[in-house]
Amino acid sequence: MGQVAPATPQRSLTRGVVSSALKPAAAVGGFVAMCLDTFVLMFKPPFAWREFLLQSWFVARVSIVPTIMLSIPFTVLTVFVLNILLIEFGAADYSGTGTALGAITQIGPVVTVLVVAGAGATAMCADLGARTIREELDALRVLGINPIQSLVVPRVLAATLVALLLNSIVSVIGLGGGFLFSVFVQHVTPGAFAAGMTILVGPVEVIVALCKAAVFGLAASLIACYKGISVGGGPAGVGNAVNETVVLSFMALFFINVIATAIGVEAAK
Amino acid sequence: MTTARPSKRLGRLSRVSKEFGHAWEAVGFQMAFYTRTISEIRNAFVHYKLEIVRLIAQMSLGTGALAVIGGTVVIIGFLTLSAGAIIAVQGYNSLAGIGVEALTGFISAYANVRIIAPVVAGIGLAATIGAGATAQLGAMRISEEIDALEVMGIRSIAYLASTRVVAGIIVVMPLYCIAVLASFFAARMGTTFGYGQSTGVYDHYFNTFLHSTDLIWSFFQAVMIGIVVMLVHTYYGYTATGGPAGVGEAVGRAVRTSLIAAAFVSVIITLSVYGQSGNFDLSG
Repeated sequence: MGQVAPATPQRSLTRGVVSSALKPAAAVGGFVAMCLDTFVLMFKPPFAWREFLLQSWFVARVSIVPTIMLSIPFTVLTVFVLNILLIEFGAADYSGTGTALGAITQIGPVVTVLVVAGAGATAMCADLGARTIREELDALRVLGINPIQSLVVPRVLAATLVALLLNSIVSVIGLGGGFLFSVFVQHVTPGAFAAGMTILVGPVEVIVALCKAAVFGLAASLIACYKGISVGGGPAGVGNAVNETVVLSFMALFFINVIATAIGVEAAK
Repeated sequence: MTTARPSKRLGRLSRVSKEFGHAWEAVGFQMAFYTRTISEIRNAFVHYKLEIVRLIAQMSLGTGALAVIGGTVVIIGFLTLSAGAIIAVQGYNSLAGIGVEALTGFISAYANVRIIAPVVAGIGLAATIGAGATAQLGAMRISEEIDALEVMGIRSIAYLASTRVVAGIIVVMPLYCIAVLASFFAARMGTTFGYGQSTGVYDHYFNTFLHSTDLIWSFFQAVMIGIVVMLVHTYYGYTATGGPAGVGEAVGRAVRTSLIAAAFVSVIITLSVYGQSGNFDLSG
């Protein structure tokens, strides 16, 4: 009497399954909602210029060393493997063509993916996550400031801009490094290298690569910001959020790279 | 009350040199940690066998939100599928530009084995298992669980770091196999179904230029990348400071460092293993 009937095991099992299936759906919904908010608020004054500049500097600062340190080995690796192939063909004079093709169309975007997702997005997520944990975002809301407008929008734009700039650095390091490696290590004629660079790669490829980089920056920063502002659950929370940011942005960017390459190849025809 | 005090001699110089000294010292600490972790692997096998098994199970499935999308296996499979598809898209079209698109199978056998599969498997390992290990160890360090382990007389480096390195090495082996197969599969599907090359042509050039010794070296490369990645990530987790926010920063720093380390390991192994020779006879 007066006893509450316990939920039957079957019902609680269904409820458990339903709630665990709804969790990722809710996360996807939250992410889409935040993206929409960001895009709408991007064009609404006031624009947080100061935060935008600070964030651009922040992302550039954490990414510049990884960019240089990653583009050098990737260039050496690709140029080395390509040149072996070309020397075997007896077409070492075309190593400039191979280097330009590799550096502009693949190494540039791939290293940008690694840097933007591995360096920029992790730092951004850690920073936003720390603010969320310290309840700074709630404080902003209490003050009547929309955290999406004041924190997320400048970050997303800053990451997009910096990704664009990083891609240029990677391309220049790729071409320069490829030149040095081919000429001084694998004894390709410098004049033939320079003459061959523009055979397969033109302005269209460069523009496609820059567009790819901008999209990478946009996607990675949106994921990082969503994971950062939805952090919860103690000391392990921020760490896990950063971990998930890396994984999800890698997956998203690798996927975008395939699609963008296919589109770019068609556009270049 | 303020007291005037003469400025130090060579103030800026001494500050800069002190900073440089600290950075240099940090490298030394890192090396010492790696040496201890590797030398304690024996202890991990003797005393903490169960922990190794538990970590292998946890790493192969992933934790939290990552387990929902299928764990480490699915993530690495997806990454290498995308990378292999790039071979089809970019390789086929570039080769078609000079009229030799028949050689796409050769590019797949060559680039997938030498660069893409080991490097992408390493990147996937750093992002999933490595970053997860940093987050776990960092949270333990922040909540002073590692100090508690020491007080209880448990060798914390052997119990936490060495076991994770061992588990990482064991987990990377099947993961590498999945990575290679996924990259081959994606390149073949993209070239034959996507661009309509006949499967016979693709398979002929693919099988002609696929060397089993290259595959073994590539496997070795993946395992080496796995060891380096796990060492870097356990170090940053084990030495995390600065509260909950510090754990996040440690994960970010660890990912940056391990990506760079993985890239350099690949270059060193590729240059030293394959040398100047291509190990294939294209002219027949």
